[in-house]
Amino acid sequence: MKKNWKKNSSTFLAMLLTAGMLSGCGATSSNTNESTNNNQMISEASDAIESGDTADSSDDANESINVYIGGTIFDESMDPIKGFMCYGYPLVNEALLQVNANSEYVGSLASNWSVSDDALTHTYELNKDIHFSDGSDFTAEDVVFTYQQVMDNPGLNENVDLSKLASVTAVNDYTVEFKLSEAYSPFVDTTAMLQIVPSDAYSSETFDTTPIGTGAYKVVQYDANQQIILQINENYHGAQPDIEQVNIISMDQDTAYSNAVSGQMDVVMVSSTYINENIDGMSLEKLETMDVRNISLPTLKPQTMKDSAGTEYQVGNEVTSDIAVRKALAIGIDRQTIINNAFNGEGVPSVNFTDNLVWANTENYEDNKVDEANALLEEAGWVDTDNDGIREKDGVKCAFSIIAPGSDEDRYKLATALAENAKALGIEITVRNESWDVAEAEENTTPIVWGWGQFSPTVIYSLYHSDMFLEAQYANVSGFTNKQVDQAIEKAISASSIEDANNAWKEAQKMGEQEYPYLFLVNIEHSYFVKDGLNISVDTQIPHPHGHGSPIICNLKDWTLNE
Amino acid sequence: MKKTQRSFLNRRVLLACFIAIAAIYLIGIFIWGLAMNPNDYAVHYENKLLSPSASHLFGTDAMGRDMFKRCIKGLSNSLVIGLLAAGFSSVVALILGIASAVFGGWVDRTVKLLVDLCMGLPHLVLLILVSYMLGKGALGVTCAVAFTHWPGLTRIVRQEVLQLKSSQYVQAAYRMGKSPFQVALHHMVPHVLPAYLIGLVLLFPHAIMHEASITFLGFGLSKETPAIGVILSESMNYITTGKWWMAVFPGVMLLLAVILFDGIGETLKKLWNPMSGNE
Repeated sequence: MKKNWKKNSSTFLAMLLTAGMLSGCGATSSNTNESTNNNQMISEASDAIESGDTADSSDDANESINVYIGGTIFDESMDPIKGFMCYGYPLVNEALLQVNANSEYVGSLASNWSVSDDALTHTYELNKDIHFSDGSDFTAEDVVFTYQQVMDNPGLNENVDLSKLASVTAVNDYTVEFKLSEAYSPFVDTTAMLQIVPSDAYSSETFDTTPIGTGAYKVVQYDANQQIILQINENYHGAQPDIEQVNIISMDQDTAYSNAVSGQMDVVMVSSTYINENIDGMSLEKLETMDVRNISLPTLKPQTMKDSAGTEYQVGNEVTSDIAVRKALAIGIDRQTIINNAFNGEGVPSVNFTDNLVWANTENYEDNKVDEANALLEEAGWVDTDNDGIREKDGVKCAFSIIAPGSDEDRYKLATALAENAKALGIEITVRNESWDVAEAEENTTPIVWGWGQFSPTVIYSLYHSDMFLEAQYANVSGFTNKQVDQAIEKAISASSIEDANNAWKEAQKMGEQEYPYLFLVNIEHSYFVKDGLNISVDTQIPHPHGHGSPIICNLKDWTLNE
Repeated sequence: MKKTQRSFLNRRVLLACFIAIAAIYLIGIFIWGLAMNPNDYAVHYENKLLSPSASHLFGTDAMGRDMFKRCIKGLSNSLVIGLLAAGFSSVVALILGIASAVFGGWVDRTVKLLVDLCMGLPHLVLLILVSYMLGKGALGVTCAVAFTHWPGLTRIVRQEVLQLKSSQYVQAAYRMGKSPFQVALHHMVPHVLPAYLIGLVLLFPHAIMHEASITFLGFGLSKETPAIGVILSESMNYITTGKWWMAVFPGVMLLLAVILFDGIGETLKKLWNPMSGNE
């Protein structure tokens, strides 16, 4: 008997251990390892700066900060030729133009620029007395070299599209001329996206980890998937930054949060899950973005269609193809409640692209008009006849599913909160969390939660132009077709001045939005815990583009510590 | 007095009691989960992240869902998958094990090759592979668990039958002109049944645990299905901020179900095995 009990208990113990190993530790143990590594790294990084001088960490002469800005920066090459940091703000390299806090383009390496009347020639005057961090001069030759590299290797850079660029030439040392094959006003966006590399020192291999640029900081150490250490570029043409060293650290978000709690981090990106927490010595910064979340609502009836290559696609959705359903959702839901429920109140309701973009339509409308929405649905024939809380029309339930793709917890929460809210309208929404592969396969039939946020208005072309339907991934998945909108978009693209282009973009959106092919929900905010004493210069932060994490370092050179 | 009590609560009775309690617990969860109204574990934003209390025994999650009801439903889902997968696995094991031993030759070699193939790959990797290929979800997980849990039991059955093959009554049956199929059905199956049933019960905890594991890793049941794996992986985001109840209770519930199944299997083994009965 005794022997048996022993045997029994040892089996139980073994089961207990196995249970832990199988379902828990697969993920947690690696986290623990990682966090140990990271602690080690953080202390190493601060050692590196302290050993340089006898200074302690609070000394203004040798300041170092540890930042966690997500993993994207570690996933990609740091080479601008391969698309690094092409969202309109500088870090190690700089582009000809950059975006300012009002989302307008201002000169960076270029002092001014002009477009010819036929909109085919763009001329950029460059600033003088600018040097790369290796000491070499910045001239027109470097600009020509950079653009030529991307033109010759278009496969390397999926973010910068130079297909409309016919030639780039140096008129003299400080003037560059771009000739386009056809009028293309968004070319100006390209010049703010593609950052310039030195023609003499460029190497496709070393620039992956240690690019040489004209920016305020340079890379002094790159440890793959661990840390990137930046220090001030002594040759920088602007005012010298205040913070001598910036350590960008790779870790998981919960590890970063724990490290912040133990006082080892200066900036930590956090999702809305964490924004109600308090960390001693740190405060939460909710930064303005132009990142919106919308849901594509297929406008076509279910059918089979062919793209230009003859491939057949199943398109359309029985319920969302009715404009009454799309409009009822747009005006009937309560966006603020959805945001409170899904994101703990982080984010701003939005019904179209954000007003902080110069080309966005600023005409907004009120939501939470439940009665009006219900009347609209009833008029269209959607009536709840069997009293189950869901409307029907000709035997079809007013129900559809929404895909919240990928591992983004926030999109799932948002879709769930919308589904709860839409119940008041008698519309049943089922939320499905699927991989991006499934989402792509079903993008023309099933509503999907999308995230959009870029300075270039080309997103309007992608979302509203009929030519894009079935031709490109993620583009015009609602199957929206409107001749007038197409014309307005074409007018914007061929415009020779930014003003004309922006007006045409606004007109296109205004017309497009009347058919509600996309249900805009929220302009999200990006939250970060920032250590007291560190000033991240909120005034010079640009509205953050899509991708929570990296955008906070858009004005790294303006940050100050202990002042 | 003491003596009578001891003889009354002998091991057999104790074990029967244990099996009864365990079975009631597991069947209770199974039926309660199946019959549960989806509104019981639905989203209630007014109850976000409440710690355990009388109205929410296991607390609530970030969407205000009651964790206790979600756990019961999740565990019930796991049991359904475990039942299907273990049932399928055991039938495959019975057929392959007996065929392998009775027919011998190339049948035996093929079965042994299949067993080796299946066991040669790390278990979890094979599970993920099968589940992913079938598009994840309930179908993916059930098939993955069903297709990977038969080799161990196949070996046991094959071994049992190999021993039987040389026994006199089987030899006699052959001499009387019975076909291998008839011999297998009438003489082998009844004999290997006890070992087979124990193996089947012991398959459950494995199946449940593996379902939870691959779901936890994101290759199993989808996020919108209540499942212990989903609950545990969601709770990982809240551990650093001290929402302990989201991980602890579901983990304990899963562990308890697994331990009880294992306990029932081990106990049955002892009851059925005449040698250990004399201990």
